Amino acid sequence: MREATPLLWHTVRAQGVDREQADDVVQTVWVALVRNAMTIKEPHAVLKWLLITAKRASWEAVRKQRDEARRRTELPDDTDEGVPTLPSSDPTPDVEVLTHERDRGLWRALSRLPERCQTLLKLVSLADRPDYKAISAATGMPVGSIGSTRGRCLAKLRDIIDVQGESWEAS
Amino acid sequence: MGSIVSTEPRHSPDEPLDGDDVALLADLARIAQALDPVPDGLVERSLFAVTLAGLEAEVMELEYVRVPRMSVRGEAPPIEARTITFTSESVTVMISLSPVEGGRVRIDGWAAPATSLRVELHRPGSVTETTSDQDGRFVFDDVDRGPASLVVRRADDAGSAVSTPVVEL
Repeated sequence: MREATPLLWHTVRAQGVDREQADDVVQTVWVALVRNAMTIKEPHAVLKWLLITAKRASWEAVRKQRDEARRRTELPDDTDEGVPTLPSSDPTPDVEVLTHERDRGLWRALSRLPERCQTLLKLVSLADRPDYKAISAATGMPVGSIGSTRGRCLAKLRDIIDVQGESWEAS
Repeated sequence: MGSIVSTEPRHSPDEPLDGDDVALLADLARIAQALDPVPDGLVERSLFAVTLAGLEAEVMELEYVRVPRMSVRGEAPPIEARTITFTSESVTVMISLSPVEGGRVRIDGWAAPATSLRVELHRPGSVTETTSDQDGRFVFDDVDRGPASLVVRRADDAGSAVSTPVVEL
């Protein structure tokens, strides 16, 4: 639980769920795991199951939150286009939190990668031992291509770092 | 011809993970955690929620949290008052948390539809019980901080129990 919770947290947050709701969603996923323990046949499929459940619960939470926000919004200038505030898919754009230039450089480099590379590398970095089946389930990428995609994404990231002369280097 | 700066890829996707790759991934994980830290106590709250699942109560939904916007991510839970609303099909419970002496918390609760309810406050290792008045109001006036869940059932035992998700007091 201690190992997988950060992975679940960031997976839920990446779907645009706010921090308070994300806390609840992560708990719900763990409770659901215990309730459904009998139906999960392969032990190594647990992480995959957790990530899929977390994603579904997140979508549900985001949908509810939008409905709620719509219900509460009674501003006269509310347009017919609906959804007043879309949850941001990037929960934390404030890189100022990072105190080291080295970290900021790395994060900037990461943000220049294609979206799926960013998602994949974040997932791989948070998973204790890269579990391709689980990552495949969470990203929708075929299991067979995850290893090579990871290689491609890492190679691109390192190229960007080299080119933009970022200050990241392995310590 | 426009001069598009093309960069010769210097790193091959086919190379096995080397030390730099591993260090990069470790840094990414660390930065992700710094930017959006997993809340303190989430693992403990989840563990507690799992033990409460044994109560077989229907878990209510966390509907709405109103926190004065002073609280900052990842810090200790906010000391100032908070209001949390939980809903299920049969009942809605709103609780308001306010600080009392000694870093403890007072819980003022209100359930709708208004009826006399038995309200249990579950903490890791302990349960305290109170009843709501006819207006659906109840109070736990002096409780420790930490993970907690309320289990609510009608005083006449009609219908089934509902519980709130685990929240940090």
